[in-house]
Amino acid sequence: MISVPILSVRDLTVSLRSEEGGRNIVSDVSLDLAPREIVGIIGASGSGKSVLSRALVNWIDPPLEIASGSVTYKNENIFTLPPRRMRALRKEIAYVGANPQGALDPTLPVGRQIVEKIQALVPELSRADAERRVIELLAAVRIPSPASRFHEYPSQFSGGMMQRALIVDALATNPAFLVADNVTQPLDVTIAAQVMRLMRELTERFDTAVVFVSSSLPILNDSADQILVLAEGRIVERQVPERLVHSPQHPYTTQLISEIPQIWTDTAPVVPKIPRQGTPLISIKNAFRTYHVRKRGTFASYSEVRAVRDVSFDVFPGENFGIVGESGCGKSTLMRLLSRLEMPDSGSVICGGQNISRLWRADLLKFRKDFQLVLQDPFNSLPPRTPIGEIIGGPLRVHGVRSADQRRKQVLAVMEEVGLASSLFDELPLGLSAGQRQRVNVARALVLDPKVLIMDETLSALDQTEQFKLLKLFSDLQTKHGLTYIFISHDMAMVRRVCNRIAVMYLGEVVEIADNTKLFFDPGHPYTKALLSAIPTLETRRYDPEECLLDGEPPSPIDLPPGCGFASRCPKAFGRCRVETPLLMPDGPDGEAACFLVPSYPPQPVTAAAA
Amino acid sequence: MALLSFLARRISQGVVIIFLVTLLIFTLLRVVPGDPVRLMAGGMAPEALIEEIAKEMGLRDPILVQFGRYMTGVVQGDFGQSFTRPASGASTGGTGFGDSSRGDRADVLTLIGDTLPMTLQLAALAVIFALIITFLIGTPAGLAPNRWPDRLAFYVSSIFVSLPNFWLGIVLALLFSVKLGWLPAIGYKGFAYTILPAIVLAIELSPVLIRNLSGSLSAVMQSPFISFGRVRGLGRRRIVYGHALRNASVPLLNLLGIQISGLLGGVLVVEFIFDYPGLGLLTINAVLQRDFPLIQGIAIITSAIFVLINIVVDLIASTIDPRLEY
Ligand SMILES: Nc1ncnc2c1ncn2[C@@H]1O[C@H](COP(=O)(O)OP(=O)(O)OP(=O)(O)O)[C@@H](O)[C@H]1O
Ligand code: SF4
Ligand SMILES: [Mg+2]
Repeated sequence: MISVPILSVRDLTVSLRSEEGGRNIVSDVSLDLAPREIVGIIGASGSGKSVLSRALVNWIDPPLEIASGSVTYKNENIFTLPPRRMRALRKEIAYVGANPQGALDPTLPVGRQIVEKIQALVPELSRADAERRVIELLAAVRIPSPASRFHEYPSQFSGGMMQRALIVDALATNPAFLVADNVTQPLDVTIAAQVMRLMRELTERFDTAVVFVSSSLPILNDSADQILVLAEGRIVERQVPERLVHSPQHPYTTQLISEIPQIWTDTAPVVPKIPRQGTPLISIKNAFRTYHVRKRGTFASYSEVRAVRDVSFDVFPGENFGIVGESGCGKSTLMRLLSRLEMPDSGSVICGGQNISRLWRADLLKFRKDFQLVLQDPFNSLPPRTPIGEIIGGPLRVHGVRSADQRRKQVLAVMEEVGLASSLFDELPLGLSAGQRQRVNVARALVLDPKVLIMDETLSALDQTEQFKLLKLFSDLQTKHGLTYIFISHDMAMVRRVCNRIAVMYLGEVVEIADNTKLFFDPGHPYTKALLSAIPTLETRRYDPEECLLDGEPPSPIDLPPGCGFASRCPKAFGRCRVETPLLMPDGPDGEAACFLVPSYPPQPVTAAAA
Repeated sequence: MALLSFLARRISQGVVIIFLVTLLIFTLLRVVPGDPVRLMAGGMAPEALIEEIAKEMGLRDPILVQFGRYMTGVVQGDFGQSFTRPASGASTGGTGFGDSSRGDRADVLTLIGDTLPMTLQLAALAVIFALIITFLIGTPAGLAPNRWPDRLAFYVSSIFVSLPNFWLGIVLALLFSVKLGWLPAIGYKGFAYTILPAIVLAIELSPVLIRNLSGSLSAVMQSPFISFGRVRGLGRRRIVYGHALRNASVPLLNLLGIQISGLLGGVLVVEFIFDYPGLGLLTINAVLQRDFPLIQGIAIITSAIFVLINIVVDLIASTIDPRLEY
């Protein structure tokens, strides 16, 4: 491609000013962006991707500063432009970031703010024309009923919709190039895949060049013309995607690629089916949980949010049980039911032969000791001013270990087990990395020698390397203590690696429950196929996104339509799906799915007890 | 629909609040020392006569009975008559009890109706002045935290806080009225008479507002949508006036709702100093004369006004920020 680049970056260095002097976050970066080209930038968390992206649009604020180098657009270095001229250029330079919810003023309607931007940059366009253009673009990014969504506020948009609205905002003035920093990071996989598809379509339609920044190689691989690898602020490799994947030059790239989870390849981990016999350790039967929330602006009427609907399954000793689904599908509610933080409205949770709603005093304490919860978010779950040893030993105190020496001994033992140095015993958790914090959480749960660990998105905040290490730790602990794990996650790849049996949730229901191999190679439910088609991976997909990927988003659990909960997005839905609710039916020997298309599904309603 | 049910909820809460305030004032008046009959009949009247009058007026009945009787009137719109003021005007002296029958006494509602508009005018002007001061000083401060406009705002509001309102009232009256002759001060013969007392009230009101505005403005300026606004190509002025101030004004408004209720004390003092014929002056005299019906009437009306103001404030706040539930 021998064309004049629209953007050229030369020897760009961005440094962080602090009291101890400066530190370079981005060093000596040079790159060219040709018209209509898509350049992908990949790097691990903290490698300086966001700082670089912001520098490309001249958005570096103290304590960061441009130490040297230039970003040239239309023959001018944008760092030296006076603010007025820079502002005029914003029409041609667009940016979309990873925090869609915070990007617009929460007190004004979304459409109005996009019109405001258009009018600020293209004053010759009339207000009515600007509005028409915004509504047209909102429709183009498939926001349903764009004319009325135009008048809604940011808080009324879901994360995925907001991200699409921001893409509209970025493209509304027909920019020459767009910097997209980790745009899919906060989104669920199926929504992220939709957003990616849209970005590709639109940038093609508008001839926009794109710098696409991501921490996930599979996402870039599908769309970029060229990929740059960023390590510690330096570009260590640049290649076209196929070559990068097949013959990476730099060891850092090799490592990045080796960490991409394998799903369907021969080298993918095989999680064996384990014999399910004896009594289940946990058995949840027809559990329902409905929350009542006050309707906005009314005073005595409530909406029912049906968070968990008729969920039943068994978990056997020694199993790794996975619960997957997108945000809002009821995973965390189910976790609260399993750990008795809440009781089901109807149905029961039976652990070790006892209905946990009925447990009391000593039995309850015993239950709490045996069933431990390890929470999400490593950054907020540790008290910042309590020494690590005391945090881990806390549960021992609650469970009646009086002697401080005894506690110290037990805590040190468990710290060693999870790979925390004993020197950390008296330290505060402030300086810990995300991985270490998660180890503290695991140690705190393990110290009571439980039977079951319930992990709610425990690994989601960690990068691939740390995830690997922790998963290894979990499996060692399992062999040693005969633990049973329940993993609650939205990350299909992680679940593929560790879980024997997996339940897929959608809108509060379990729509499929199957052994690992069965679920990933021969799923029975269309929603599972959609999830599989959206996994970011470099492999040839077993499930083609074009065929399986969903439009739209899950309906709200407030006003549930009758029939199959998935019917509004299901590519295979037919008449029966809208009148009758499918139940879980055996789908081969290894799984069950709730879909009328499962071969074993009876052709007539099972409960057709006509008079 | 949502609006109606909001109003229904808030007004019914308000009625409960007003009822409780009335009950409290009613009871307090009757248990704290100071017998209105003694004040009406004069210091020389014999004890027996006082008892007789008090009985006749129902003041020796159990408090709850008295309260029931009073509330029956109130719900019918009858707030009773003043103990001490004749219908014609000035309050009666101590000795003349025997010759003025109850029919000649001024209706509480009439007394309040004559003075309330004056006080509302004063309060409204004071709030306008206070908001002008607040935005003039607080906006630059919020935009430049820890720099000189912020320090200036800090000094100004510290000075405002430490000025006693009675002293300020007197000094301003001496300066602008007596010495410079720019503004009239004492009594009321036209709108100009409202300006000086309103300034005193505004100065009392503004320090908290200034700090609130500069604090919330500087917090809003840290929000991602502000710095992202720049990248989207919005001008600085549009970002500050169209977005940042808009967001910062919601907490300011809520605070204002509370502060207005707290203005009452200031109104009493200021109206007294400037001899401003408003509700405050009426209240002072009513208290001095143990004029129970008048005090009660004022309490009911002022608490109703506070309830209304707070409803209006919440309505405005929720139109600015749609996330706020009514
Ligand atoms: N405003 C800032 N002040 C101080 N340090 C900063 C600032 N912005 C970035 N850094 C530091 O710069 C480094 C690179 O950060 P950056 O946000 O660019 O990483 P990233 O590659 O985008 O990571 P992620 O994938 O997690 O988004 C980090 O060490 C971060 O702590
Ligand atoms: S029952 Fe119908 S709508 Fe539901 S998943 Fe199956 S085919 Fe789709
Ligand atoms: Mg980033």
